[in-house]
Amino acid sequence: MTRALFALKLRLLRNGPHNERGFSLVTGMALAALVVVGAAVANRGLLHEGWIAVALTGWGGMWLFGPLTQPRHDPSVISRDWLRGYPLRPWRAARALSWTELLGVGPLVTLTCLSSLVVLAAPGGLTAATIGAVAMVAQLYLLVWAGKTVAVIAAWLLQTRAGMRLAATQTAVMLALSFAGWVPIAAWLLPRLGQSDTTLVLPTFGQLPAPIIDVLALLPTGWGYRAAIAARDNAGTEAVVVPLMALLALGALLHMGWTTLTARALRRPPRLVTPRRPHAPGRGLSLPFTTPQVSAVVSRELATWSRDPARGVELRSAWLTPLLMALIIGVTDWSWALPLVGSAAAVFGAMVAVNTYALDGTALWQLLTTPGALQADVRGRMAAWFLLFGVPSIVLAAVLWAVTRSPLGVVAISGAIAAAAVACAVAPLIALLMPAVGTDARDRRYPGQRAGDPTGGQMTIFPVVLLGAILPGIIGTTTGGHLWTPVLAAILLAAVSLSLTPTLTARLLQRRGASLLDVMVSSDAALLHRNRRHRWGYPGGWG
Amino acid sequence: MQVFDYTVPAVEVTDLTQRFGAVLAVDRVSLSIPAGMCYGIVGPNGAGKTTTLTAMCGLREPTSGTVRIAGHDLRTDRQAALAQLGIMMDGLSLPERLTATEVLRYSAGLRGLDDSWRVRAEDLLEILGLDATRRALIVEYSTGMRKKINLALAMLHRPRVLVLDEPFEAIDPVSARSIEQVLTQYVAAGGTVVMSSHMMDFVERNCRRVALVAGGRVLVEGPVDEVAANGTLNERFVELVGADPVRPLRWLT
Repeated sequence: MTRALFALKLRLLRNGPHNERGFSLVTGMALAALVVVGAAVANRGLLHEGWIAVALTGWGGMWLFGPLTQPRHDPSVISRDWLRGYPLRPWRAARALSWTELLGVGPLVTLTCLSSLVVLAAPGGLTAATIGAVAMVAQLYLLVWAGKTVAVIAAWLLQTRAGMRLAATQTAVMLALSFAGWVPIAAWLLPRLGQSDTTLVLPTFGQLPAPIIDVLALLPTGWGYRAAIAARDNAGTEAVVVPLMALLALGALLHMGWTTLTARALRRPPRLVTPRRPHAPGRGLSLPFTTPQVSAVVSRELATWSRDPARGVELRSAWLTPLLMALIIGVTDWSWALPLVGSAAAVFGAMVAVNTYALDGTALWQLLTTPGALQADVRGRMAAWFLLFGVPSIVLAAVLWAVTRSPLGVVAISGAIAAAAVACAVAPLIALLMPAVGTDARDRRYPGQRAGDPTGGQMTIFPVVLLGAILPGIIGTTTGGHLWTPVLAAILLAAVSLSLTPTLTARLLQRRGASLLDVMVSSDAALLHRNRRHRWGYPGGWG
Repeated sequence: MQVFDYTVPAVEVTDLTQRFGAVLAVDRVSLSIPAGMCYGIVGPNGAGKTTTLTAMCGLREPTSGTVRIAGHDLRTDRQAALAQLGIMMDGLSLPERLTATEVLRYSAGLRGLDDSWRVRAEDLLEILGLDATRRALIVEYSTGMRKKINLALAMLHRPRVLVLDEPFEAIDPVSARSIEQVLTQYVAAGGTVVMSSHMMDFVERNCRRVALVAGGRVLVEGPVDEVAANGTLNERFVELVGADPVRPLRWLT
């Protein structure tokens, strides 16, 4: 059975989409090569070997926390649902399946990275290098099963409401660390930037403090490193054997844990979560300055943002991330930068709203067959976005300005206004042009289900909204004009984006709506591009 | 319902062709569907029924040919043509995170209907048996409930023409009965129903005319009795489409 599953996985990998896998392979190999080169440089005494322990800890961290950062994805390549239909003993199937988990980009690039252990141990002779090789394999064994076990637990958690909240918090923490994690370091290097003093405090990158290395070597991610260094330094059998045995024992335990969880998943289908129901059907909104059609769309959007599991995770993470960023920045000497978090909130709001058409899926047919609905839909989506993300972004910038009395207050408010307007106008356009199609809305119950990976759209809207956020500040600085110049620039930018973009989006939706629906029906985003070239592709799945 | 002009066909399809690359899904189909009747389109799987209906309700631009709804050309007078239609497509999503009441309110708002929609919505929810699950979201609905809420949405704005794709597919007899009764009332009040179905007995019972399509072409079209030609519609269907004899499977004995 193991051989059959191996062959199946190889075929799935060969025939499946390669873009993401190819990107991961190239990036992972480049990073792994850096660690290996770092180990060779450390052997020559040009870099302290403790940095290799730091790198290996970071790498191990990616295995452990990576599955939690992508709540949209089901990590398994071979479908559990498909296997469930065969008369196989679950434990036996899970055990056979477990070996196929070693086949993939992650284990390959990690093995390359861990070959740095062989490089580190090599100066100790052939025996030490051999022990380094054993440490490499044992460390890989532990990391793979730790990561896979976390992924299985995360997938199970994501079927629950508590798991949804956890996923949103986890995503927010990772995003906040990614986008504001550099601030404490920058504040350390440039502590008086707020007073326009750009004097750089240069740290020394020589030897890492010994206690830090000791702690890293005590963590399971550092046991292989510990064994390799002990072998090189001829520190005795116990210093080598204990970490290696610990790696294998914990790895085997996690392997068994994964097999048990997978066997359990194969034994019974996932429990369907009852979606959060409204206490009473919501009342229709009557918004000022909008038509009843737009108000209807706004009501639909507000309900969908709060009830759709995929959108719910995104909404929570987009609200939480700026607050966590503010917390990170607030504890440094750069509190003057806090009002800028308002613009960041608009950027995050834009990034989570770039896939709404694909998330709503084939429900698009209703808009395409209702007179005048397309224009109302675009404006309604924009209005709902502005209520959910735009207003909070501007208010956040204003509150943080009031609290910090930062000299950047006006620029920050202007940036938040401009960013909110640009995001509000551009998000539906990107959602239309770059749909990341996943499971159709009617079949999505919890966020762990494949809901489409909108990374492309997010990477597109990020610089656009960021440019919108900084443009008023740049105009204010370059014109050297009045304090209110950035505000006027922001209002002008907002007026232009909000007046031109929705018309363009509605026209595109009118022209490409039917093709987009075909894409949703067939779950094949490539069809949209083929349709653009050849007018129509065959939309498998209709009828 | 809107005031009808019975001299104008409810739906007029002329030389409709739909090609997907090398695949010819619909080949010069022409249909003229009079107002005030139930019209059936039957045919084997892959015959082009759904593709024809999809073009008929403006969800796909045909490769060539024209579709007119109550005299309005779908290509040149799209908004007016769509306003005449109520549509129920098979296998597509709705705004899934809304309740039945919310989705009807949403649809009424989207169409800019006056307040009288509320009475109609209450009636439809009650008659179709959807009023017992008011807090349930559409995503939780069974296949039968989906068909019923789709029908309610299609009828809410009192359209002249209902286009229904497989309204009785995969639903229980009780749900089928309530849908059938609503459709009968709708046609009795002057509405036109164009539906595809594999349920030959329903088509025989309720449709006045029928088109039998296969391979993207209309094989025969006319009053149901004439098409059935003194037999049942099901027999005529098998006779026209052709059914290969199934050889015995030795490994089953």
